[in-house]
Amino acid sequence: MIIGVDTGGTFTDFVFKKEDQWGVYKLLSTPDNPARAVLTGLDHVGGKEKQQIIHGSTVATNAILERKGARTALITNKGFEDVIEIGRQNRSRLYDLAYRREPQIVPPDLRFGVKGRVLSTGEEHAPLDAEEARKVIKQIERSRAQSVAVCFIFSFANPSHEEKIKELLGNTGIAVSLSHEILAEFREFERTSTTVLNAYVVPKMHNYLGKLMAEMAEGNSLSIMQSNGGSISAETAMQESVRTILSGPAGGVVGGLEIGKIAGHTHLITFDMGGTSTDVSLIDGSFSLTVESRISGYPLKVPMIDIHTVGAGGGSIAAVDVGGSLKVGPESSGADPGPICYGKGEQITVTDANLYLGRLIPEHFLGGTMKLQRNRLDSFFQQMAQKIGLSPMELAEGILSVANTAMEKAIRVISVEKGYDPREFVLFSFGGAGGMHGAFLARLLNIPKVLVPQNPGILSAIGMIMADVIKDYSFTVMRNQLNCTADQLSDFFEDLEKRGLKDLSKEGFAKKNIRLERYLDMRYEGQSYEIIVPLEANYIDGFHTLHEKTYGYRNEDKMVEIVNIRLRARGIPAKPRFQQAKKVKRQPSRKAYLGEREVVFDQKKRKTQIIARDRLLNGNRIPGPAILVEYSSTIVIPPFADAHVDEYGNVIMEIVD
Amino acid sequence: MKENPILLEVFKNRFSSISEEMGVTLNRTAFSPNIKERRDSSCAIFDRDGAMIAQAAHIPVHLGSMPMSVKSAIENVAMEDRDMVILNDPFKGGTHLPDITVVAPVFAGEKAPSFYVANRAHHADVGGMSAGSMPLSTTLFQEGIIIPPLKLVEKGTIDRKLMSFLLNNVRTPKEREGDFAAQIMGNITGIRRTRELIEKYSLKTVTFYAKRLMEYAERVTRHMITEIPDGTYTFEDFMDDDGFGNAKVRIHLSVTIQGDRATLDFQKSSPQVEGSINGVYAITLSAVLYVFRALVNQDIPTNAGVLRPITVLTRRGTVVDAQFPAAVAGGNVETSQRIVDVILGALAQALPERIPAASQGTMNNVTIGGIDPRKGIPFAYYETIGGGMGATAESDGESGVHSHMTNTLNTPIEALEYSYPFLVTEYSIRRGTGGKGLHKGGDGIVREIHLQSDGEITVLSERRSLAPYGLHGGESGTVGKNVIVRDGKAMEKPGKFSSALKKDDIVRIKTPGGGGYGEKGDRSQETGGMEHRA
Repeated sequence: MIIGVDTGGTFTDFVFKKEDQWGVYKLLSTPDNPARAVLTGLDHVGGKEKQQIIHGSTVATNAILERKGARTALITNKGFEDVIEIGRQNRSRLYDLAYRREPQIVPPDLRFGVKGRVLSTGEEHAPLDAEEARKVIKQIERSRAQSVAVCFIFSFANPSHEEKIKELLGNTGIAVSLSHEILAEFREFERTSTTVLNAYVVPKMHNYLGKLMAEMAEGNSLSIMQSNGGSISAETAMQESVRTILSGPAGGVVGGLEIGKIAGHTHLITFDMGGTSTDVSLIDGSFSLTVESRISGYPLKVPMIDIHTVGAGGGSIAAVDVGGSLKVGPESSGADPGPICYGKGEQITVTDANLYLGRLIPEHFLGGTMKLQRNRLDSFFQQMAQKIGLSPMELAEGILSVANTAMEKAIRVISVEKGYDPREFVLFSFGGAGGMHGAFLARLLNIPKVLVPQNPGILSAIGMIMADVIKDYSFTVMRNQLNCTADQLSDFFEDLEKRGLKDLSKEGFAKKNIRLERYLDMRYEGQSYEIIVPLEANYIDGFHTLHEKTYGYRNEDKMVEIVNIRLRARGIPAKPRFQQAKKVKRQPSRKAYLGEREVVFDQKKRKTQIIARDRLLNGNRIPGPAILVEYSSTIVIPPFADAHVDEYGNVIMEIVD
Repeated sequence: MKENPILLEVFKNRFSSISEEMGVTLNRTAFSPNIKERRDSSCAIFDRDGAMIAQAAHIPVHLGSMPMSVKSAIENVAMEDRDMVILNDPFKGGTHLPDITVVAPVFAGEKAPSFYVANRAHHADVGGMSAGSMPLSTTLFQEGIIIPPLKLVEKGTIDRKLMSFLLNNVRTPKEREGDFAAQIMGNITGIRRTRELIEKYSLKTVTFYAKRLMEYAERVTRHMITEIPDGTYTFEDFMDDDGFGNAKVRIHLSVTIQGDRATLDFQKSSPQVEGSINGVYAITLSAVLYVFRALVNQDIPTNAGVLRPITVLTRRGTVVDAQFPAAVAGGNVETSQRIVDVILGALAQALPERIPAASQGTMNNVTIGGIDPRKGIPFAYYETIGGGMGATAESDGESGVHSHMTNTLNTPIEALEYSYPFLVTEYSIRRGTGGKGLHKGGDGIVREIHLQSDGEITVLSERRSLAPYGLHGGESGTVGKNVIVRDGKAMEKPGKFSSALKKDDIVRIKTPGGGGYGEKGDRSQETGGMEHRA
């Protein structure tokens, strides 16, 4: 039995598959001890079956956001102890006269400098002062630090000093993270930051995963979801915990990729709209990766699925500012007090606006288990509408269009700004509110088609059980097109490939199920951002082409630099198969119709069918306007869209105007 | 057409998207680390009269000056479709020569341009007497090539003659050419996005909301000014010197708040000086715009509306309104910081809880040039260094960070050592340099470079003799220091100097700490009137 477990802020979701049987299960999360909900749920869905578990955990992410990681020390070159604090010397809020950085992960008294220096060529300029290093380690032991990050200048070009420190730390029992192992790339602040984040979360993850494994029955396996879109064994996740940070939304994108592929759509923009925020990502046959992520003020340079987040979701609050402009978000009503219609809130949210327009159906919201209070809305909408000189209906649709503008902007960042035309993509909508906004957003961006998968509320857990096992490796070589031949590149890759094969065979993969993908981080000489180019026979030309696509021009007179080499080792597991349903008639069965309501579209009340999604079959067509309800989400098919159900139960909306 | 609060918000987002997308293109396509890595650039969109609608400013010093560049381009050149105008003349819309602006019209079916887009980037070298073009100059002519508003692009084609002329007057022509191309690309993105917006909503609607957004920013700014108690607040502070023996150069301000209007009178400031710390009027305007924009506690578009309730008075021929052919290289980077200090110092009397003590008050401009022995080609390194921020009523000041008029990134040590014949030997926080007080000022930075070849250095720095002020009993921050160590002997250098360097010299720049806030041990948070002693 294969089980995907996704720990979220409110719920822990379980998706399981045994032979042809699929099942889902939801449990309230237990934030004080997340393992409790995970183990309870596993017991419930798996029982005594042999289990293969893939788990998306927020333990590492939360440890950083809440500054509850291990007491962490840093060893670096003497004179560079503050690199981690100074960062790039800029401030993230330009107009904040009282600007402060986020709290430091390693306080100044836990940063230690040791004499010794390596140059850019890897040549040792000054040997490591082992005597001083020993003294520093004594101090670290006395400081009760549980974990230590080691980052020396140019350590990736010559790791001997970092290795020496590891050797000297010996059996002190302090966890150690070496920068050349975590991220063998140049730019000392970003490398230090990534290493420090790893050191900070390793003991926590060790503890958490250790607990899970101890409670699991013999013979069960546990893998952990990484932010790069692949999973990895729990043992590896204990060493390289940094790769699980921000992995939360990755499962959803993988789910989008895999479900899209099965349904015949390889170019997708995933749109995950939740309560407080919306995550968007672009899939161009495979997911887009970035090495420019940040968490809580710290850069995190490991490759990650490029997911752009915007502070607009169902709970986003609408307010009129002093200049008379209508703002929506980023403030959110959260779970408490929640939107007005939940009974307690007193500020209008996006969810309230949807309900006001009739697009949310109170008796079907969460299967009718939560009663929405439509009657609470009137006075709040009238009040605010009067204040800005609109009718309450105009206000409600206005709130949605402002929220949609923010989400449209997010999609432009990941598509248009990177040289992609949204018209060539399918909008893959999920999350609690994705189905309500998908069609409107598609129209704004001229996206022709929207896909809402089955179980859109737990897509992340589905993605986890479909993910490959992925290991990423990189190494700064700093060459240019003249002093780097294809043979040399092969030599560089050989070492990484050996590691990849070894690591994946440890994960249980036979060679025939392993794919090695080679990439180069390239740029024009003098540039300081690299782009990731697949290593093909004509990679220099590949770079010019990709550069032109991304930035609008190519310059073949300019020297091309190869900054980093990058290997992605992919283990392909046996994946669950989906069954194709037989096509039935266009007209949905009568049982699917739940009644008719008046719903507002473009300021007009329209008679709209309410339809039970789980009673729809392959081939059924539903012209807009209509509303599909299911347990965890609502799909709004506006008058300008036409929907049908495909052979895998996905709802496809086509924008017709 | 009637203003609709929903479309107002939608257009706010759309216009800011345009300037941001221009910035993404410019930064990503630029060649020089100075623009890409340090993001020393800004992009903006303007209406048909050259009034700014929205700006993606990474660098506040560009705020007030971009509109003046665009106005100058409009006045001096008849732009047709697919033309672009380049300029850097500080007395025709520029600020200092390295900041080069490229302006492009957006035609939308009318005879004249319906909108303009423009971007400005700091170029690492524009010729002149010293590498990096941030010299210790006494006249504009020493600072580099002066570009009046000229067509760089005509009907979509780059003017090769002009380009070749420009490139022949700078030290690093290839890099410049790449950066010009990036600036052109940035504008092309802006033009395309503006046209898409017009197609979607009609020219009439887009023009209408451009105006409404200026009024919107104006309303919000007026609202903020009414929260400042009425009265006249006077303050002065000084530049250390101009590098040519003229010490204590005065910046004087009387700010009068009356209801929803503010008048800032700088007329009693010193006459312009021989050295390059003269600021043109655009600099002063930028500093004012920065402070008022910072006092508005919400996200508004930075546009022409913000300045409407504000009057800025200067006297021509002073350090805050320098006239041709004054040397201005340092006015942009150094005097602009002091103008901010003075505006904040005056407003601190009106808003003691909101205004921080003085931040480091300098950008610590360091330029090192020479021949890289590893490659046998010339190099020009330019960088600015962060320092301490002033403490506030709420908390200590931040350490090791850029403040106020700049926000450029540092160059990573490993990137420096790949690119230049340098060995960086220290990069740390200069502990204990923030002014003491109830809340202490942020600490400065120590940056130390061990030269691996001969070269020449120019430093333009401030707050080396007159410290950043504390407020309400808080102490001043510690002044900065510039040191060159040769053969084991440390030589202290002045705030502004140029000097030949020998292989194995060590350059040590220690930047100032920020001022403290409130008397130490005084937890009552009493903040009465404050007195400034310079």
